[in-house]
Amino acid sequence: MNIFVGFTIEPDVEKLIGDDWLVEKGLDVDTSFLKPILNSYGESALEMALKLAQEAQNTQKPMFITALTIAGKGAGPILRTLNALPFDQIVLIEHNSDLRFASRTVAAILSQYVQEHANQDVLLLGQQTSIGANAKTHLLVAEMLGWPCITRVIQIVSCDSNQMEVISQADGGRLRQQVEAPCVLSIGDAPNTYLRVPTLKDRMHSGKRAITVLPADSFELPTETEVLTNLEVVQYRRSAVPLGGQNPKEIAQKLFDEHLKGGIHPL
Amino acid sequence: MTLARQEIVTQLIDLVGKDQVVTDETVLQESSVDRFRRFEAFHGIFQLPVPAAVVQVNNTQEVVKVLEFANANKVNVVPRTGHSATEGGLETILDNSIVVDGSGMNEIIKIDITNMQATAQCGVSLQELDDRLRESGYTTGHSPQSKPIAQLGGLVATRSIGQFSTMYGGIEDMVVGLEAVFPNGGVTRIKNVPRRAAGPDIRHVVIGNEGALCFITEVTVKIFKYFPENNRFLGYTLDNMKTGFEILREVMVQGYRPSVARLYDVEDGAYHFSHFADGKCVLIFVAEGVKPIADATANAIEDLVAGYTECEQVAPKLIENWFANLNWDPAKLAEEKVEIMQTKNICNTTEISANWSIINDIYEVCMQRVRAEIPDLTLLGGHSSHSYLNGTNLYFVYFYNVVDCGPEEELTKYHLPIKKIIVEETIKAGGSMCHHHGVGKHRATWIEAEYDSSYYILKQLKVAFDPNRIMNMGTIFPLEKR
Repeated sequence: MNIFVGFTIEPDVEKLIGDDWLVEKGLDVDTSFLKPILNSYGESALEMALKLAQEAQNTQKPMFITALTIAGKGAGPILRTLNALPFDQIVLIEHNSDLRFASRTVAAILSQYVQEHANQDVLLLGQQTSIGANAKTHLLVAEMLGWPCITRVIQIVSCDSNQMEVISQADGGRLRQQVEAPCVLSIGDAPNTYLRVPTLKDRMHSGKRAITVLPADSFELPTETEVLTNLEVVQYRRSAVPLGGQNPKEIAQKLFDEHLKGGIHPL
Repeated sequence: MTLARQEIVTQLIDLVGKDQVVTDETVLQESSVDRFRRFEAFHGIFQLPVPAAVVQVNNTQEVVKVLEFANANKVNVVPRTGHSATEGGLETILDNSIVVDGSGMNEIIKIDITNMQATAQCGVSLQELDDRLRESGYTTGHSPQSKPIAQLGGLVATRSIGQFSTMYGGIEDMVVGLEAVFPNGGVTRIKNVPRRAAGPDIRHVVIGNEGALCFITEVTVKIFKYFPENNRFLGYTLDNMKTGFEILREVMVQGYRPSVARLYDVEDGAYHFSHFADGKCVLIFVAEGVKPIADATANAIEDLVAGYTECEQVAPKLIENWFANLNWDPAKLAEEKVEIMQTKNICNTTEISANWSIINDIYEVCMQRVRAEIPDLTLLGGHSSHSYLNGTNLYFVYFYNVVDCGPEEELTKYHLPIKKIIVEETIKAGGSMCHHHGVGKHRATWIEAEYDSSYYILKQLKVAFDPNRIMNMGTIFPLEKR
């Protein structure tokens, strides 16, 4: 089975301090001084793929894993780390323009790569990025490929020659489904999927392994129909009430008497 | 006669009341370790004897009562406040120890602007004190990464140091006076004066005692004017550590006083600064204070570094943002636990210091040996973060994957062998095995080698102040048979 993982490298915006949330000309927030990190959903997708590969190796089933990102030159350190992990191929589609709200472009590159560069059976894509947060790239990819798409996947239970059993979140519960390849799986809040860490020896051995680099203009890129017209910083604030009290016991009592008691009803 | 566990608990309840004596098994297990054994603890493995009780003291008199009781009955006492120690200093290695927790003594007693000093009980968190001071335009000048969780008693007990030490000094330069309780129940107050020449400086018997001599109940520290608006951040990439050490030395020798002077090697630099280090070492300075001094310091350092052609300056914003996210808070600690449990990848550190003439040799030999002798490393790097006129520190940072062994073997397979290499190579070269985390229990093995002939003075402190050997046994001083 050929597994394809599409992941995003994005600036660590959680490290952006309050005063730096400034909308600049070009409708952008300067994040150039932030360290790039793996998008958390993409990280989950990568680790899930590695677990599948490990399982396939244990049961001696053939599996080929490709990890691909669309990014600029800043992707180097993360790609070198991934290259030291047991992915069969790492691909960088070099693209230095603004892709924050260009999900159609991203979807076109991913679907064309899958169709033209290698036959893939299953696509694992992160649910959404932190910045564009469109949450629709995976749906567009599925549409362009004409494949079914399962969203909010949190676990791949098993993977056979062309069948997978996956668990996904749904309103009010979880779904366990048998799916047939080819398909797109959009990875959501999957537990236990921090990406493993390669050792120094792994890094040394992978030093000679080439990363496939393709220019974005080698793909047929669509015209984006959505145009960014405005960007505002949303202030999230929480209201708070000081509880007072001299010690934990007093504070707990005040919390109960003044804020919880009225809301607790006898059975 | 040795008291039975239940007898110890009963008598402690008589002394301070039932509400303050905790015997919950989970609390006791967690109180038997500190961050040194966090990998085992995350897995629910507690190999050391659990204490008989954790006593939450609320005032100096309660500390007196508990220490007098322990001293009379020869029960081991482990003092603690923020529980953020990293070197095993809080481990309870003897049966039925009493953990005396001073985190409830959390009153800021006085902020004295005229005399530029602040007095606080041992359980005041450094973050809280510094936040309070900053509201009025002052600061403690102390900012270790543990600032959000560490408390004043523990910071003084371990000879802590902060990120801005090159300007403000370590905690030993900040402590003006203090109050401590000795195991005989004696309360000692060292008065707050600017300086005195009335014999040896007895503050240093208490500062850094790691709970092995006394329990610190109150601390008075210097405070400083705070001018964050004047901060100037400088960052450079460069090819090798040797040049970096030379620059740090030059800055110190010329007499400049940046608050921060840090040098990262390639590996550590890649971990923190992958977005601009590009496979190089990273050198950082921060100049602060009143504007003329901050500007003059930054400009002079810029001129000085410009003389080193291998240095390339980076945007100040890169450094400013990095500092804004450096400290550890409870949320980061919780996240760290989840990540470690899932990846089995853990980071530990060992910090040493040495004079300029030998620091690079120590760096190179330790890196070479650890890389060659220790398996499963995922990152091995180091940085210098605190510089002085005659030398600097080195903070070795190592991540490894714990594989092919149980959680209880993590220390013996990885952390302790690495620490052994670093400590032994440092002492052999003439440096100090501990720069700012304290000795704890796992470097006590080398304490005699560290002190050499001056160990006599150190040992006599234990003999004089803790003759019944009840204070945090095994910390600083190796455990001997009773």
